[in-house]
Amino acid sequence: MSANASSLFQYLEQLKGTTFGRLYQQPSTTFAIFRRMLPHLAKTIVMAILYMPTPFLLSDLDIWIKPTAKRDKDQAISILRSLHIVLRDASPTISLNTNFKNSLRLALEGGGDHNSFGVPSTQPPPDDIDLGFLDRYARKKWDDILHFVVNSVGFSTSEKGSSGPKQSVKDLLIGGRLVERSGVTHRITQAGFTFLLQEANAQVWTLLLLWLEAADVASSSGRGLLGGLESVDMLSFFFLLASLEHGRAYETSALTEARKNMLPTLVDFGLVYIPPANPQQFFPTRLATTLTSSDTALRSVSAGFLASGEGGGGGLGDSAGDKSSIILETNFRMYAYVQSPLQIAVLALFSELKFRFRGLVSGHLTRASIRQAVDMGITSDQIISYLASHAHKQMHRVAASTRKPLLPPVVVDQIRLWQLDTERMLATPGFLFKEFDDYKEYVAICNFAEDIGVVVWRNDKKCMFFANKVEQIKGFMKDRKKSNESK
Amino acid sequence: MVRAIKGTLVECDPSIKSIIIAIDSEKNDYIIEDLDESHLLIKDVMVQRLKEMLEERLKETVPIVENDSDSDADVK
Repeated sequence: MSANASSLFQYLEQLKGTTFGRLYQQPSTTFAIFRRMLPHLAKTIVMAILYMPTPFLLSDLDIWIKPTAKRDKDQAISILRSLHIVLRDASPTISLNTNFKNSLRLALEGGGDHNSFGVPSTQPPPDDIDLGFLDRYARKKWDDILHFVVNSVGFSTSEKGSSGPKQSVKDLLIGGRLVERSGVTHRITQAGFTFLLQEANAQVWTLLLLWLEAADVASSSGRGLLGGLESVDMLSFFFLLASLEHGRAYETSALTEARKNMLPTLVDFGLVYIPPANPQQFFPTRLATTLTSSDTALRSVSAGFLASGEGGGGGLGDSAGDKSSIILETNFRMYAYVQSPLQIAVLALFSELKFRFRGLVSGHLTRASIRQAVDMGITSDQIISYLASHAHKQMHRVAASTRKPLLPPVVVDQIRLWQLDTERMLATPGFLFKEFDDYKEYVAICNFAEDIGVVVWRNDKKCMFFANKVEQIKGFMKDRKKSNESK
Repeated sequence: MVRAIKGTLVECDPSIKSIIIAIDSEKNDYIIEDLDESHLLIKDVMVQRLKEMLEERLKETVPIVENDSDSDADVK
């Protein structure tokens, strides 16, 4: 699981069991969750018990898995439980959620008339729509949104011909506190900066989850402003979009009324394209079809960078498709061959830019500039990975020929040190567990918490530990109490 | 009976911890529990305020070196 999966995971984790029951009615949703959200071991376990006629004994599962991997197994089971894929009960067997089982079988075998994977349009698509067109379209839409966020910093980056995102999208960004309204202008927030440096895929999910939350709030307050959209249905529609084929036309009429109402907003995000000549068709763009793929090659890795350098075929996240090429010297100077105001603005977030020429900006990384970035919530690792993923070809060449790291280690270390300077303390929200009845109880609960990976600090002498998540510990304590009473 | 106390775990050097304790000693409204020489449990709502206070204290004691990069600063 990567970083963008984690925000989605957090959202899913707090949903109710009944909600999952409805989500898992859709084969596409089930398949997407299976593909995207589960670690390898969890996938293996699911596949192994998918076609078992009888419940599977947990003790048999222990035989399959090496004792050294117990921790991995416990984490896998805990993830399966929290996503309601295996049933949460204290019985000595595990079995799959019925809806999940049926839907995953359907997804794998094909068949059924659920139309869960979209209905391809029978009409011929317009000639001028090809992969390149859709990529350009999606990139333009998404850049507009990023521009709006960056512009709120106050850098003068307004580009001619770019109208900016729709008001509804702006409201969403403001509502999600990515930007704050101060008077007439907008100001970017910490969350906004983190958002900017994320991969395109993670950014899309962030925005979609904001939309879901906004819809939740609207429906619970009964305003119905969003056309009575329901977050469960919206979520399964996202997963449906993710399973569609890039560059293919799909039938709009096969969608339910609620989903048709979602299309305009998705058009605003750049996730789908509807040809003006034929509103009966919609095209998912690359932003939509990569939603659940673990292929993160949109911006960060060098593959995306190379692809965009060779004519902008892939690398959607690489804004405006320009060869963003940064040269970083050991004396903390940075030269960046960039055209796009968006990227110059991003560079200005953490460096002191001195000169701007046509197609080139140069600047310094200084203590003050890094500190300013850190104060705004950007981490040193984000800066370093940004620099690394946008490094110039020449940097790669030199690094390869001299067998040295890509970025000068002295600069990388210094960026980290500068951040440490500002972070004298590491804060983790969560719960402190103490006053256990006896040592045995402490050890049992603390070891369980350690196995599922939520313990941040423990002190065996004082019988206390600190965990950053409690839901599963609570469940474990309840089960433990019950089994103690029944003894 | 087990108790779960909501709060923020703060991990820091012992030297920083002593400054935090000094800040807390004025009103005792930051620290919930002193865990060990490098860990404290702090009230959730006070974390941001504590960071600011700490920053202020450090400014007084730690000198800030200007231009500690780019030794050949010929361009101004």
